Amino acid sequence: MDIVAFLKSLEASGLATRIRDSLWLFPLIESTHVIGLALVFGTIVIIDLRLLGIASTQRSFKRMASDILKWTWAAFALTAMTGTLMFSTNAVVYYHNFFFRTKMLLLVLSGINMLIFELTAGRTIHSWDKAPSAPPAGKTVAAASLVMWISIIVMGRLIGFTTTRAAVLAPPPTGVNFDDFLQGTPDKRGGTPAVHPDKK
Amino acid sequence: MKQFAEWLSTTFLSVFIQKHNSWVIPAIQSIHIVGIGVVLGSVFMIDLRVLGLAGMDQTLRQITTRFGPWLTAALCVLLATGALMVIGEPVRELVTLSFWLKMFFVAVGTLIAAIFQITLRKHEQQWEETLVNRRSIKCLAVLTFLIWVCIIILGRLIAYDHVWGSWSPATKA
Repeated sequence: MDIVAFLKSLEASGLATRIRDSLWLFPLIESTHVIGLALVFGTIVIIDLRLLGIASTQRSFKRMASDILKWTWAAFALTAMTGTLMFSTNAVVYYHNFFFRTKMLLLVLSGINMLIFELTAGRTIHSWDKAPSAPPAGKTVAAASLVMWISIIVMGRLIGFTTTRAAVLAPPPTGVNFDDFLQGTPDKRGGTPAVHPDKK
Repeated sequence: MKQFAEWLSTTFLSVFIQKHNSWVIPAIQSIHIVGIGVVLGSVFMIDLRVLGLAGMDQTLRQITTRFGPWLTAALCVLLATGALMVIGEPVRELVTLSFWLKMFFVAVGTLIAAIFQITLRKHEQQWEETLVNRRSIKCLAVLTFLIWVCIIILGRLIAYDHVWGSWSPATKA
């Protein structure tokens, strides 16, 4: 089964249909997504600023990480779940969206970034745990993390402006060109030039 | 309000934002979300400390000194970017139930945060030793977090004000 066929069956699933047909389910799922991402981003910023030596410089890094990161992961699970639900309602359009793809790539990169931390500064925490900032490798990871997570937020917002729920009613023809989405000309896709609630 | 919103949409700044809305609006909204992250993260950390779930290596005062200023600064960013969104799309924002409900909760949430920080400074010892252990204070911490959660939901609902049905002024317009 090719990916587009799979995405189409995902869109046709009972849950996706239920969300599309409901007046308030999608807005509520989207709100929950924002709550989750606010907690993910908010807690990650706290850790990154600690690594950079900008805030919480007096606290043990180890203690902070064990205090905070479990909440980050819980919030991330909530965000991923609600994100998947939103994706399922309009899977083909999201899959082809440039900003969606960039966002997914950035999420993978931030995972790799985290791995780099574990392999570098993460291995020597005992030696800098009480120091006001992490060694250079840790600082680099923290700065990269901040840039990536802010970019993820920007991409997420741009997805909302370049995809439309109404496009579900008139899905784009297969072999659609990415440039069509980038240039923001929905008419070219052959679908109804629908207006996202954000664009009204 | 509709008339005011329509007048606002003819002002210079509003016309500028409307003209460049393809990038200005997403940019402002993105900054707004970054601010929301800092606010919710800060409130979350203070609330968790009150509940005894995180930051127990710090005093209540230390946690509040760390996160209070960030909360205030982020709220200012939210106010500025929020104002720009209202100026850019006055009718979309002002002629909704969600927006005004949100403003009410923002006022309540900000007031609680301000009162907490002031009383903590005045009665530090009492807060650290007895108040923080009170059940009512712990309930208030949960309630405060829920208020900010409601603010986020209502903020998103501005774009979907029709969910309120006949209560929404947008559906009457």
